[in-house]
Amino acid sequence: MIDRILAAAGHADVLWRREERTTIAFESGRLKTTGIIEETGVNLRVATGGRVGVAGTTAAAPDVTALVDRARASAELGEQLDLTFPSKSKFPNVPTFFDGAANASLDRLIAIGKGLVERLAREGCQVNVAIEREVGETAVGNSAGARGGYPSTGVAVTADVVRIASDDVLMIYDQYVGGDLPTDADLDALVRSIEMRLVPALTIVTPPDGALPVVFTPAGLAAIVLPLEQALSGKTVLQGSSPLAAKVGEQVFDTRLSISDDPLAPQGPASRPFDDECVASTATRLVEGGIVRAFVYDLETATRAKTRTTGNGHRGIFGKPGIRYTNLIVGNAPPPRPAPHAPGLGGGLIADIQDGLVVDDLIGVGQGNVTGGGFSHPVGLAYRVQGGEITGRVKDAAVAGNVYELLKHIGGFGSDGRWLGSRWSSSLRLEGVSVARR
Amino acid sequence: MKDRLAAALKASRADYTEIRLERTWSSAVTFRGRRLETATVSEDQGGFVRCLDRGCGWGIASFTSLDALPQMVARAHELSRAVRLERPIRLAETAAQQADVALDLDGDVRGISLAEKKKLIEAYNGAMLAVSDAIVDTQAIYRDEVSEVWYVNSEGTALAQVRPEVTVSGTAIARRDGTIEKGLESIGLRRGWNSVHGFEERFRVVARRAADLLDAPRVQGGAYPVILDNELAGVFIHEAFGHLSEADFVYENPQAREMMTLGRRFGKPVLNVGDNGAASGLRGTLPFDDEGTPTQDTVLIRDGILVGRLHSRETAAAMSERPTGNARAMSFRHPPIVRMTNTYIAPGQGGATLQDLIKDVKLGVYACGAFGGQTMLENFSFTAAWGHMIRDGQIAELVKDVVLAGNLFQTLDRIDHIAGDFTWNQMGGGCGKGGQFPLPVTEGAPHVRIEEILVGGDV
Repeated sequence: MIDRILAAAGHADVLWRREERTTIAFESGRLKTTGIIEETGVNLRVATGGRVGVAGTTAAAPDVTALVDRARASAELGEQLDLTFPSKSKFPNVPTFFDGAANASLDRLIAIGKGLVERLAREGCQVNVAIEREVGETAVGNSAGARGGYPSTGVAVTADVVRIASDDVLMIYDQYVGGDLPTDADLDALVRSIEMRLVPALTIVTPPDGALPVVFTPAGLAAIVLPLEQALSGKTVLQGSSPLAAKVGEQVFDTRLSISDDPLAPQGPASRPFDDECVASTATRLVEGGIVRAFVYDLETATRAKTRTTGNGHRGIFGKPGIRYTNLIVGNAPPPRPAPHAPGLGGGLIADIQDGLVVDDLIGVGQGNVTGGGFSHPVGLAYRVQGGEITGRVKDAAVAGNVYELLKHIGGFGSDGRWLGSRWSSSLRLEGVSVARR
Repeated sequence: MKDRLAAALKASRADYTEIRLERTWSSAVTFRGRRLETATVSEDQGGFVRCLDRGCGWGIASFTSLDALPQMVARAHELSRAVRLERPIRLAETAAQQADVALDLDGDVRGISLAEKKKLIEAYNGAMLAVSDAIVDTQAIYRDEVSEVWYVNSEGTALAQVRPEVTVSGTAIARRDGTIEKGLESIGLRRGWNSVHGFEERFRVVARRAADLLDAPRVQGGAYPVILDNELAGVFIHEAFGHLSEADFVYENPQAREMMTLGRRFGKPVLNVGDNGAASGLRGTLPFDDEGTPTQDTVLIRDGILVGRLHSRETAAAMSERPTGNARAMSFRHPPIVRMTNTYIAPGQGGATLQDLIKDVKLGVYACGAFGGQTMLENFSFTAAWGHMIRDGQIAELVKDVVLAGNLFQTLDRIDHIAGDFTWNQMGGGCGKGGQFPLPVTEGAPHVRIEEILVGGDV
């Protein structure tokens, strides 16, 4: 297919992908839906006369001429860009396909879900569990002679426990995402992680007030990481809106802060040998010891920025390739064989906190002025820390601050590093976060 | 196509089978700054099958290989039989429907060249860029589609629908030194090419506002009386209340059912809320939902009392209520789930104006537009696009970073005055739920006053 399209398209690159997902969903403890989702598609990019155009199709037997015509029509309006496709190269070896996941029967997946539902069940709570297993195949190629392909598997197990008591709604969520089926230890960790947050949440305490130490759990860290993800994207730099663009080589953050993008991380859910533009995978150190080192690029943004792609090209079936992080490692890198995340809310960072918060979820992350690093969010799920111990859940509180200010002096990373989707991090303690109650 | 569907349906051995096939033609042109980013035409097609055997679970199959339809029906049936339920899934009765509905294409977008679409969005993009030197970046997107959807089920429903959509939207980024502000405009219509012209001024306005916000102070955090403009009031009712009225949130959960008991007081008698999938010509409007149920105007809150909720056939049967035509699927990649359509706060009886709402407010905030909103069950957070202080009954200075946060129940009960100036806000984008985003919806509201709500910003 790739060769046939390239033969007709001239200066071009193509991605072909087939995915089959098996899904099972337990609603309020009952298995209600099982399904399969099958999708095959082609994404073609042509560089005709120095202009770039794209076209995609999900047709089973695509009409190659029509596809190429559509891509050329797109290129006619496209911008001038001298795109050089990578030539043939050797790709690193990284496991993307796991027999256990690929061969797991429907009954096996159902059994995993049932086990979780049983272990999470408790009086007055509703348990929802969903499992999705994906088996895929990706092939990419370009007119410079590069070709690559790999099979892949992925498993996502999500679970939430909902407790409604009069008008108080509590929801605790967790997930396992990986290339292979979860081990018993992974499932134990998931159950413990939910219990660890559920038990103290049953007591509601008054929120504190003032500039306080706040521990962001790996899940709660989303609000802190989001502005950095935006600022470290080559696209943002190119648009002139990255606050870090002019700071390469500068000590912008606390020396303990490091961030990297690693498509070769062992057990990384987003690991793969090359990106969707046929560029060999390699780790990119974005922030090292608090110093800004690099940004992530795909082929087009790299060409426009007159730099090299970092192999972060991602493409769907429709639309043009774009930048996407792979495995984002925040703080200490994962050990070669990370143990399933250890329990302990706060990651060992709360012992000396006299009064503060542990934040697991905030409401409205991504709204407002993300670029500038400012945030102000009501808490979705947060706990009060008093005298070094968690005393209960706080409601009706908000936290605010500026990521760039707060990350200049961090209070430390916890010992609870874990994968959450394709982000690896542990809890992070920040000092002087503004906490308000209402 | 209809024959293929009929044959596949006939071959199914499941007790209940439904099949949806879609073919979507779409095009998009995107500008970033002065640079054209993409101009593409896409064709997407695929199918969705859902089977249900008595006493079993749902079996579903979604696929792009349309040739495999008969096998997919068999697989969905097999998946249904893999699950045994003690309490069986039931579907509320609906009359079988046969219809061929083509919504008004209003200038079929498939007949317009990409170059013309580029010209249009380039003009809107240029309007934003020309406003001021402070506008350092823009994004402007033109997007359209025509979707043909065929739906059949084993109870005799057979529908063919043609659904058009067109959206023009823009973001203007203003910057001075380290300060960055933005302005958003978005117009989304269930119509065609003829309906997206003449909007230059609207794009200019948001760019000008982004530049003005550079000099505006942040709102001082605290509890204020707040007047929501039509757009923010619409987003508020959708996010903060609408999702709780979706019956799939409550039907399997006794505690949630209790919380959302019909007859419970949710607000003062001025408050009337509903969801109308049958409203004429709106983005959330469709004659039938994705289970073949006709859409309707469903009253959710009448005179402050909860009186209704939104249903699929399954949730309606489980709660012994009637289906409301709210089972919607984003595309063939997804099953239908309970969703809103066009959700509204009805205008107040007295025909009050904005002036009437603010005249006795000594110190308050006029919160306008929406950058976003999120509800986490009973708590919500909304970011207004901009705001003005209200001082001594008058609209005063522009302020920024107006974030409203609160508890749904308290806040609905604090709505004490509703103006008569109702408008539908036909925006692009859409609603997200259960991994299905963006589903086209519309929100409508007049100006609404909340006696007191927490405004973030400088906390």
